[in-house]
Amino acid sequence: MIIDANVQPHFRYNAEIRKFLASAHKLRSIPDVEQQWYQAPGGDYRQDLYGDGYPASDPDTVYRHLFTEGGANFAILNPLTRGNIADYLLNSRICAAVNDWLLARWLEPDDTGRFLGTIRVNPEDVKGAVAEIERLADHPKMVQVGVPLQSREPYGKPMFEPIWEAAAAHNLPVAVHINGGNGVDHAPTFAGHAYTYPGYAAFMPLNSFVHLATLIIEGTFGRIPGLRFVFADGGYDILTPLIWRLDTFWMSMRDQTPWVDRYPSDYLRDHVRFCSSAFDGPTDAGLAERWLDFSDKADLLMYGSSYPHWSTSEPDDVVAGLNDEQREKVLWRNASDLYGVTEGSLA
Amino acid sequence: MTTLEERTNDFVAQDIAVTIVDTDVHPLPVSGEVLKSYAPAEWKDKLWPAGNAVSPVPHFYDTPDSYKTMSLRVDAAPPRGGVAGSDPEFAAKQLLVDAGVSIAMLEPMCDAQLPQAEHVLKATHNNWLADVWLGENNWHGRWRGAISVTAQDPSAAAREIERWAGHPYMAEVLMTPQTRGIPFGSPHFDPLYEAAARNSLPVATHLMGQTPFELIPIYPVGNPAHWHDFFASWPLLYVSHLMSLVFDGAFDRHPDLRIVFVEGGFTWAMPVMWRMDRIWEQRKGDLPHVRRKPSEYVHEHVRFTTQPLEDVNVAMYREYLEMMDLGDCLMFSTDYPHWSYDSPEWAIRRFPADQRERIMRGNATALYGLPSTVKALPGEQPSAS
Amino acid sequence: MQRRPVCAIEDLPPGSMKLVQAGKFGVGVYNIDGSLYAIANYCSHEGAPLCAGYVVGTNEYAPEMPDQLRRVREGQIARCPWHNWEFDITTGVNLADPQKRVRTYEVDVTDGQVFLTA
Repeated sequence: MIIDANVQPHFRYNAEIRKFLASAHKLRSIPDVEQQWYQAPGGDYRQDLYGDGYPASDPDTVYRHLFTEGGANFAILNPLTRGNIADYLLNSRICAAVNDWLLARWLEPDDTGRFLGTIRVNPEDVKGAVAEIERLADHPKMVQVGVPLQSREPYGKPMFEPIWEAAAAHNLPVAVHINGGNGVDHAPTFAGHAYTYPGYAAFMPLNSFVHLATLIIEGTFGRIPGLRFVFADGGYDILTPLIWRLDTFWMSMRDQTPWVDRYPSDYLRDHVRFCSSAFDGPTDAGLAERWLDFSDKADLLMYGSSYPHWSTSEPDDVVAGLNDEQREKVLWRNASDLYGVTEGSLA
Repeated sequence: MTTLEERTNDFVAQDIAVTIVDTDVHPLPVSGEVLKSYAPAEWKDKLWPAGNAVSPVPHFYDTPDSYKTMSLRVDAAPPRGGVAGSDPEFAAKQLLVDAGVSIAMLEPMCDAQLPQAEHVLKATHNNWLADVWLGENNWHGRWRGAISVTAQDPSAAAREIERWAGHPYMAEVLMTPQTRGIPFGSPHFDPLYEAAARNSLPVATHLMGQTPFELIPIYPVGNPAHWHDFFASWPLLYVSHLMSLVFDGAFDRHPDLRIVFVEGGFTWAMPVMWRMDRIWEQRKGDLPHVRRKPSEYVHEHVRFTTQPLEDVNVAMYREYLEMMDLGDCLMFSTDYPHWSYDSPEWAIRRFPADQRERIMRGNATALYGLPSTVKALPGEQPSAS
Repeated sequence: MQRRPVCAIEDLPPGSMKLVQAGKFGVGVYNIDGSLYAIANYCSHEGAPLCAGYVVGTNEYAPEMPDQLRRVREGQIARCPWHNWEFDITTGVNLADPQKRVRTYEVDVTDGQVFLTA
């Protein structure tokens, strides 16, 4: 079996999202559905997908690519909302419009049950995010909550906690994914803006570690035992060196945050998952098997194609060099356990 | 605690083999008055405004019990008085004799808000360092100094580099990594890199403190609340700078430039090199000015100091370092007299056997052009190896 | 191991410590509120002189407090002078990871004299 835990479906054109936008906001400007923060030169998506309409905008095409031809059994659709715009209430309405569109265009028409979905919410609007989770959590095809990687505060900070409580109460993992576009955000690297697209693309997913570190050190994972976070842009190769550092200094810093009652790395298995990316992994496939066992990443990693991104990866790319047990975990078992998805979930 | 034994009239300095080079040590002026005496007269009131009873030391992030410890080793306070790291003789006793360090790189930390003021403050520290640590107190030849320069004005930095370039004991240039939003690969720094490379001086970078608020980098997804997760994430600042150095072509513009990342860890370098190599392979068209594979630049141009070593299972750690194969790029450091000090005796066991000599001595010796022997101090065995 | 005299009990009042030259690194003998304890002067991390560090309390998690913590065990915790690892003087156990303990020793007071068995 193959579960593709990271696919981004797209709108055909701007007018499509406006159909789902609440009437009070019909005359507001919202981010263009093609808006990117750092545009990849030559296009953000696979060149071959620009043919008939916007990449990943036609469910039949996507279905054929992922399942019929690609061999995956399920795909988790995580649509983009194109940026942390200043008006956080409008941003929440954009999230709701995207969610309604996802249901209407992708999830409900799919009789086979292969498409699964994400409840997009805006963390800056805590009340609105909780309400949106409550609105859609019971839908059987919504398997996770989705938030942007970009944030002006890391997700372990207390203001966000009601959102994570709501997600965990409904047994929904929280997926964090880059949502670039029109946003009031900090620069993408610790040293300021990147001057090149690769300088941005290589670094950006590594920011997930700060979210992760605060979720541990602020005690969020400790207070919400059922909370799971998925870092859907990869960046997991930085996990081992930095979690070692977090573990090392816990011995010194424990008294400032005594609610952290175990090594930080002991929180990973119960609370953290990553989707694979084309930028992670040893360049020498001979190291892949051993590397995946550092920090128990074999239990944390789920295959995610990132379709239709230009860096879309095939299952074989991601599991090259892995042993059979690791392959099984990465290709479907970790995702199956996390999302409760099995062959029996198919219609 | 005993002080360094007095050199008697009969003392004849013997040679001792260099076995351990410590690439990160922090000297402090014994008092503000002493430091001020090395500043130009017209700058004294500007750099140290009258009316402050003491120089305020702000802490945006504080280390364990730092009101008492001041982020220093509690056992490093000199018996003669003064704060840890302010007495060259006691530092020599604790670090060179007791801990067995042969040569140590002295890296003062200072910063100021405005570019010109920072330039003068750094120059003042250079004057002080050269006089107090690299002059008479360096009769044994075991201290090396960093030429502190301001990152805010790279042309002024270049002039300061030229001022010290011929000094027998100034061995590197030191700038902050907290560069107010300008990454290391930016052409902004070219005058500084050019002067350093032309004079065969590596450019080291080290956390420069928290004095002007804008020195705290705003982390892209916001800042943690505690030193713990703040400092665990800190290497991502160096990752950002390294990616810029490579992708923005700084090493292509400056083929003789060497960069030293101090106290920011190094185990991250392996996945970061893979990451850069992968994206370079896939996006070469975006980077026509980057002529080589990113990991090659790291091997040739970049060095990392080892402290603080992660305290994880030793066998696993050695395996990781073997896999990483950066044995030519690591340089041992203690961070004396800071609280997060790594002892040489403890550290050496964590390195794979065939990397130990390079990490403890060889790489730093090659990078800084260090001798193979120095003078033994009273209490040391000459020619120990 | 030998039972060795340390000092008169009056010379080791509550809140004080005597460093005894025993073993390779020394042993610190502490008087905590009238009870005597001894721990090795050697931190289980990098071998720092543990007894040169401050003796303090620690913080425990207290969710009902506004800052979520409460100060406890004043005078019972030895913090390593280097990395500030916390050791319970009364047991030698590290507060974060009990497996990183330091060695403890027997202390007794006989006829007004403190004795250390180390």
